[in-house]
Amino acid sequence: MELLTIPFMQNAIIGGMILAVLLSVLSLFINLKNWSFITVGISHATFGGLAIGFFLGLSPSLVGGIFAVAVGLLIGYISKKGDIHEDISIGILFSMSMALGVIFITLTPNYNSDLFTFLFGNILTMTREDIYILLIFSILSIGFIWINFQKIMYCCYNEEVAFVSGIHTGFYYYSIITIISIATVLAVKLVGVILASAMMILPVAFANQIFWHYKKILITAITFSILMVLGGIYISYEYNLPSGATIVFLYSLIFSLLFFIKRLIPKG
Amino acid sequence: MKILEVKDLTVKIENNIILEDVNLEVEEGEIVAVVGPNGGGKTTLIKTCLGFIKPTKGYIKLLGKPPREAIKTGKVGYLPQKSSIPKNFPYSVLDVVLLGLINKKLSKKEKIEIALQYIEYVGMKGFEHAPYSKLSGGQQQRVSIARVLVADPKIIFLDEPSTGIDVVAQESFYDFLQRLRKEKGLTIIMVSHDIGVVGTFVDKVAGLNRKLHYYGDTKGFFQKHILENLYGSEVKLLVHSPECVTCEHFHIQDLH
Ligand SMILES: Nc1ncnc2c1ncn2[C@@H]1O[C@H](COP(=O)(O)OP(=O)(O)OP(=O)(O)O)[C@@H](O)[C@H]1O
Ligand SMILES: [Mg+2]
Repeated sequence: MELLTIPFMQNAIIGGMILAVLLSVLSLFINLKNWSFITVGISHATFGGLAIGFFLGLSPSLVGGIFAVAVGLLIGYISKKGDIHEDISIGILFSMSMALGVIFITLTPNYNSDLFTFLFGNILTMTREDIYILLIFSILSIGFIWINFQKIMYCCYNEEVAFVSGIHTGFYYYSIITIISIATVLAVKLVGVILASAMMILPVAFANQIFWHYKKILITAITFSILMVLGGIYISYEYNLPSGATIVFLYSLIFSLLFFIKRLIPKG
Repeated sequence: MKILEVKDLTVKIENNIILEDVNLEVEEGEIVAVVGPNGGGKTTLIKTCLGFIKPTKGYIKLLGKPPREAIKTGKVGYLPQKSSIPKNFPYSVLDVVLLGLINKKLSKKEKIEIALQYIEYVGMKGFEHAPYSKLSGGQQQRVSIARVLVADPKIIFLDEPSTGIDVVAQESFYDFLQRLRKEKGLTIIMVSHDIGVVGTFVDKVAGLNRKLHYYGDTKGFFQKHILENLYGSEVKLLVHSPECVTCEHFHIQDLH
């Protein structure tokens, strides 16, 4: 386990585990609300913000974060209004943001390595500071969700019913979208914008196949997610593979295995 | 006391007139059935009464207040059309019913006690810890009704509550609604497609197809010209056969 003694590996492992927990919790709501497309939209849009931040010489994470929240809220707004072409508007929005990102990153000198990092992650770039930010944000977000869990779930059950019961549905809706947007930006260093959405969709999708109750689903999703992140980091280190891709590949592989095993074995 | 007042209500969505000049009043303790063809605007009317949709013209008073104010009293209950609840909602029956008590200032223990009482009330005793998502449509509907009732509302809006409930169970479901009215003085506004069964137990019928074609007691509703006006040529499908014992007052020969 020499892996554990290397400082940047320590950062990657700690950061990866925190992210695994945070994104698993978020994936409960994302699965319930069928938000995978929104999540994909936000993560792609984040790329534009990161690139602009990089071009301007400002902190990419900060500009990316602001950009992600703005786009996230916009997507949330479009989706809430339920206008006819919600998927199309999200599609346009994230293509536009990706395109902007590519333009800005190309205008920036020495862009090559960063482009790849933004898209697919690079755990080598995860610093102590990143971990502190991640940790504080995760504690705040999970604390918020913990306190308001039943209210948020009521909104997922049916927003209008929750509203009639006196819940400020709009507040929770936009809060969760904001948290998802910021979490996406924070996930970039681990798995990149393209792969971040997998970590927000697969944990609960996996647990859903085994359990029906939210407590068991959450525990399973978090455990699964932590194991996938650790396994992915280990494998990528041992075999010199890209970490983000390895992690996400492992997620999808185990998810699919369970999916097929469940269908092959007749119900007893 | 007038518990619901809809005055000159017109609702336009994207320039389509969905509801036009609807006027109706509901007294406390009444059971009103809103009927009409698909797309007639029944759900829209209910959503407007609850303040989700703004009237283009006219106004609504619920419990003597604008809808959004009325909701804040916690005295309004709503059961949406079934399709609008996530299929895999990861809650037990008890969890779902407890949602109805979310804003009540009670201890956890008191909440569970009341919730269990209502689960029994809707005939779901023994299912407290069963997964909500694995119940049949009718059972889910009962649980949802317990979720509405547990908050002790004065008026409830039910959008097609009998969906998925079989005919025998529907009878007892309607008996159940009447019992509620009697025991709790509840006012019930419900959307239904089954005008035959509804006719036997509600106080008033609202026939809605963009305009309110009829609003009054059930007797007056079952007249050929009113039904034809409301449903057009579909009217024959809705008349029960002479063999139907549950609604013998409404056989085809009466429709002249
Ligand atoms: N958000 C919306 N945007 C556009 N049109 C809408 C919207 N909501 C409802 N409509 C239109 O309003 C009309 C009435 O719809 P509504 O759902 O109120 O009918 P309904 O009587 O409840 O029908 P059903 O019996 O099928 O439930 C329909 O033509 C529908 O297409
Ligand atoms: Mg409807």
